[in-house]
Amino acid sequence: MSRFLFVVPPLTGHVNPTASVGGELLARGHEVAWVGHPGTLAPLLPDGARTFPAIDDVLEAGIRAKRERWLALRGMAVLKFFWEEFLIPLGHSMVPGVETAVRAFRPDVVVADQQALAGPVVARGAGLPWATSASTSAELVNPLRTMPKVDAWVRDLLHGFAGGDVRFSEELVLVYSSKALVAGEFGDEVAFVGPALAHRVERVGFPWERLTGGRRVLISLGTLNGPAGERFLGQALDAVAGLDVQAVVLAPPRPAPENVLVVPSVPQLALLPHLDAVVTHGGHNTVCEALAHGLPLVVAPIRDDQPTVAAQVVAAGAGVRLTYSRARAADIRSALRSVLDEPEYAAAAGSVRESFLAAGGAAAAADRLEKVVAG
Amino acid sequence: MDEVLQQVAKLITEVVGPDFLLGVEITRDTTFSDDLGLESIEFVALADKLNAHYGVDLVAFLADMDIDEIMAMSVGRLVDHITARV
Repeated sequence: MSRFLFVVPPLTGHVNPTASVGGELLARGHEVAWVGHPGTLAPLLPDGARTFPAIDDVLEAGIRAKRERWLALRGMAVLKFFWEEFLIPLGHSMVPGVETAVRAFRPDVVVADQQALAGPVVARGAGLPWATSASTSAELVNPLRTMPKVDAWVRDLLHGFAGGDVRFSEELVLVYSSKALVAGEFGDEVAFVGPALAHRVERVGFPWERLTGGRRVLISLGTLNGPAGERFLGQALDAVAGLDVQAVVLAPPRPAPENVLVVPSVPQLALLPHLDAVVTHGGHNTVCEALAHGLPLVVAPIRDDQPTVAAQVVAAGAGVRLTYSRARAADIRSALRSVLDEPEYAAAAGSVRESFLAAGGAAAAADRLEKVVAG
Repeated sequence: MDEVLQQVAKLITEVVGPDFLLGVEITRDTTFSDDLGLESIEFVALADKLNAHYGVDLVAFLADMDIDEIMAMSVGRLVDHITARV
């Protein structure tokens, strides 16, 4: 029996993989706790999960407000804001709560999400081993490699906060993807475990009786950002209006064609087995969860790691990429027809699915974490 | 120089699509990040076109810039770079 402490930012997509891996560790009889924003954690973690606060509701609301401003930015300003206004301040804010959690829970290993920089800092201070939970594979391939001065600027910020590049543990980096998507050579500490989906709890309801027969697609664009998001969604609704499919659209309520079901949230893992394709902005979790079900994708990346993830999907042959801010209904319709009607896309998605199954998911992640304890 | 500006504006229009530039006149002061909102895949497409047309390596040009310079990168600065090189 060992004790594992997950350190996570107040972002659903970053908590989800840890919920699965933590669930697996609990099932094996280990003690597991999470430290982050309790309100974000509660709906995503197993019943009775032990949590410690490092972010209170006021700070979380502040982060959400900042996120709104951030979503309006374009180009390199997104990256600047992300590091200077979000990641580094969040790291500073979380340190006291993570320190308290470490003292109270006395973990054998700290597992830090890549965007919870307080985790490695506190673990090092306490002389504890720590692992990275990389909720996207994009950092591994360093999208900034063609811009060395920008890359150096990020490293300087990390050195200023943590004394090193704490995005990557030297002992273990859990990556919820596989070599079928991520090209390159990596050290032994990088563990491609595939998406961690076991033990996940989905507490969101869904009107299952409203699913009709025939082919179905999910349109999921994450948090809609401003006019560009509304524009793409409007075009996507027009695109599916002319297709013989049912579309489940993740969005606030709005008028929609008859074959469209608009819902504010979905139990995604429960819904995916009922679908034939997914249209997404390229969030790492949604893309890998769709591929884990062998579903081909239409990816219209917006920002951050999404262009990298979209390129991975296209390189694997498992989907079509669109330009988010400019794609029109005809483009989206044609892309959807392709991934639905041309069997190569589903076959390629099926190959990625096989690679995920071979990677082992939450069980493989738990195996590797147990080895960190064993030393 | 005007000729280079016109040609660069034409290449940008080809990449972005004329529909999305309605009402936006591309001048020397137009920024790639804020004004054009060039997406990464469009950026790659523009780099290919510039390379084919002028033999200019846009990626190498940007590789020498820091984050603030990239944020402020304007059509005029690219035009000057091309003019100096060609």
